[in-house]
Amino acid sequence: MTLVCFLSAIVIGLISTWTQAFGYMPSIGFNHFSVIHWIRLFSYPGFNSSLIATMISGIGATLLAFIFTFFLFAFSYHNQFWRLLDQALAPLLAVPHAAFAIGFLFLAAPSGWVLRLLSPGLTGFVVPPDWSLMKDAYGISLMLVMVLKEIPFLILMSLGALGRIDVRRSLAVGRSLGYETVQVWIKIILPQLYPKIRLALFAVLAYSLSVVDLALLVGPTAPPTMAVQVFRWFNDPDFEYRLLGAAGATLILLLVVSSIGLLYLLEAGVKLIFRSWLINGQRRSRFFLFSTLSNFLVLALVGVSIGVILVLLVWSFTWRWQFPDFLPATWSTQFWRNGVLQIGGPIWNTISTGITASFLAVILVIGCLENEILMLKRGLKTNTTKILWLIYLPLLIPQIAFLFGVQVTLVILRLDGIWLSLVWSHLLFVLPYVFLSLGPIYRSYDQRITDVAVTLCRSPWQAFLKVKLPMLMRPVLFSAAIGFSVSVAQYLPTLFIGAGRFDTITTEAVNLASGSDRRIVSVYALFQLLTPLMVFLSALFIPRFYFRQRKGMQI
Amino acid sequence: MLKLETVQIYIDGRPLFSSLSLEIKPGEIASIMGPSGCGKSTLLSAICGNLADVFVLSGDVSLNERTILALPMEKRRIGILFQDDLLFPHMNIAENLAFALPSEMEKPEKKEKIREALMKAGLSGFEKRDPETLSGGQRARVSLLRSLLAEPEAILLDEPFSKLDQELKDQIRSFVFETIRSMDIPALLVSHDHRDCPQGQIINLANQGE
Repeated sequence: MTLVCFLSAIVIGLISTWTQAFGYMPSIGFNHFSVIHWIRLFSYPGFNSSLIATMISGIGATLLAFIFTFFLFAFSYHNQFWRLLDQALAPLLAVPHAAFAIGFLFLAAPSGWVLRLLSPGLTGFVVPPDWSLMKDAYGISLMLVMVLKEIPFLILMSLGALGRIDVRRSLAVGRSLGYETVQVWIKIILPQLYPKIRLALFAVLAYSLSVVDLALLVGPTAPPTMAVQVFRWFNDPDFEYRLLGAAGATLILLLVVSSIGLLYLLEAGVKLIFRSWLINGQRRSRFFLFSTLSNFLVLALVGVSIGVILVLLVWSFTWRWQFPDFLPATWSTQFWRNGVLQIGGPIWNTISTGITASFLAVILVIGCLENEILMLKRGLKTNTTKILWLIYLPLLIPQIAFLFGVQVTLVILRLDGIWLSLVWSHLLFVLPYVFLSLGPIYRSYDQRITDVAVTLCRSPWQAFLKVKLPMLMRPVLFSAAIGFSVSVAQYLPTLFIGAGRFDTITTEAVNLASGSDRRIVSVYALFQLLTPLMVFLSALFIPRFYFRQRKGMQI
Repeated sequence: MLKLETVQIYIDGRPLFSSLSLEIKPGEIASIMGPSGCGKSTLLSAICGNLADVFVLSGDVSLNERTILALPMEKRRIGILFQDDLLFPHMNIAENLAFALPSEMEKPEKKEKIREALMKAGLSGFEKRDPETLSGGQRARVSLLRSLLAEPEAILLDEPFSKLDQELKDQIRSFVFETIRSMDIPALLVSHDHRDCPQGQIINLANQGE
């Protein structure tokens, strides 16, 4: 029921956007349906380049992130490099996309830290070269940033899915049949894993094709990606451009849907081509080089992420730093002091919205999961596949394709620009992640423990509050922390539904990154990074402290 | 012949059971019994080469006069059956079985081998079936066939009947034991239920503990 209520908002948003895409928006005097905005869209200067950059960055990032994730599992799973990745996974996930992109920009730009490290000794540069390494016309740099950010997400999703495959014993069976570990991974484990992370992959695809904040930071500029172009049209003072934006937003949705279809076709093709290869009996692999490459990829992933955080830290304490110096000539805490004074409002908005949205999401998710248990007791089985699709839906539909429609509807209802609407819009995206992270653990809880507790304290509520909830405190808090970090990262919902009245650290960091001083931007990016990190750490340490005397709860 | 000589497994410096020596002849099925946690399955993991890093193994294990402890699992030529059949869900029955056959074998020969194996197990015509559509007993039989088609020199059975109901258990047990004896390879069965153990050597690990 919760899900249906939420999904209705998406449906309303989509219908509203679609009607505007066909020229119908009576509130600004467009009373007739027409295709003129579609014609204008296709003939808009730079449309083709914009579409190509969108497809290269979006589809390229998805496919590369997916291939690299499988690559890491096949060649590095459980070796010493994997242990490094395992330890770094939570911090990698906690780094918000925008903060990561800003740091990556400061790292890899022509005046970035990498070139400073090599200059002038190896390059001879005493001034930054005139290279377009970042914000290139084809969206390669955007693709690269998204690949680096999406690999940890796909690894997390895969690790969850692997819990439903008996990896250890499947490996034992495969190896006892004479296959090398890598071959068992490729022929046995990965084909079972893919269907279980397919929806997560589609979510990555939808995100990559429609991302706005990252594209504003490291994407192409003239013309920008489709999503950025549509975002600009939606914000144009000339209302007619909003209809053009609605057509563009609908086109992005079509692009996502057709790309998902393409992935299905690709999957069928791969199955067809590799079916006989799976059972050809070839037990030895010639993949020794790949193993080294995979280990290198782990190091690169962790190394770049550490580099991103370090460069932000260095810039935030910089007073004077000329190219090609490797470190600043003079240091200062000036920008932190200024930042702390100025960031109060955005921080408050971020924390209050994030905590409220994640708290509500946890309550709703627990309600849904408890309802599942109740239905099971009544002999009714829940269709978990259908539920999973419903949960993923807000992540599969590009935000830009329906948020404008939602905004228009809220304006009509006079509900736009109020804090509760903002919380609700964040909740739309927080809820799926809370469900995905809490659901599997909550479902695996042994309900018989609660049944025993009910017989002892004679109240289902007491049993829930005194036994079940404390036992599940760790996963509940962790999923709330995930929800909070999702809320912190929201850019478009904050701008559209908040009607520009609520600045958060993400909107501030993205806006500042386009032209402000690197030192100020670094401070904001670090605030964006530190806020969810503090919540993650609290979610880890509160249960540990609370149950410090309980060995069984120290896992 | 599968031979264990003064085998001991340690965790945190403590032995799981006292030194174990055992010889299993071709066609013989030896049994290891004991309660949960006494190290039965760990011993099988050690023999097949899948021992977790937390354990330390001492002693020697040889198969047909060759020491196998230094070999990786895939080169030991030891098949293993678990209590779960672990059929690969992305392959049909024929593909599950073909997975075990050598790459050098021609396709028609593979097809014939699979047909014969399925016929012997009373599963003729099951080639294209999805593993999900098979009953527990049918899946258990396919799982054994898959292990044996790889032509192992020994087979390890890790409580393979514990999840089956009593009637099915009797039926599958005799199928498994007869098939292994007809292959003339040594087998080592682990169980906590004495009714699962065939006539022959039975070692109780619980009595060996320190």
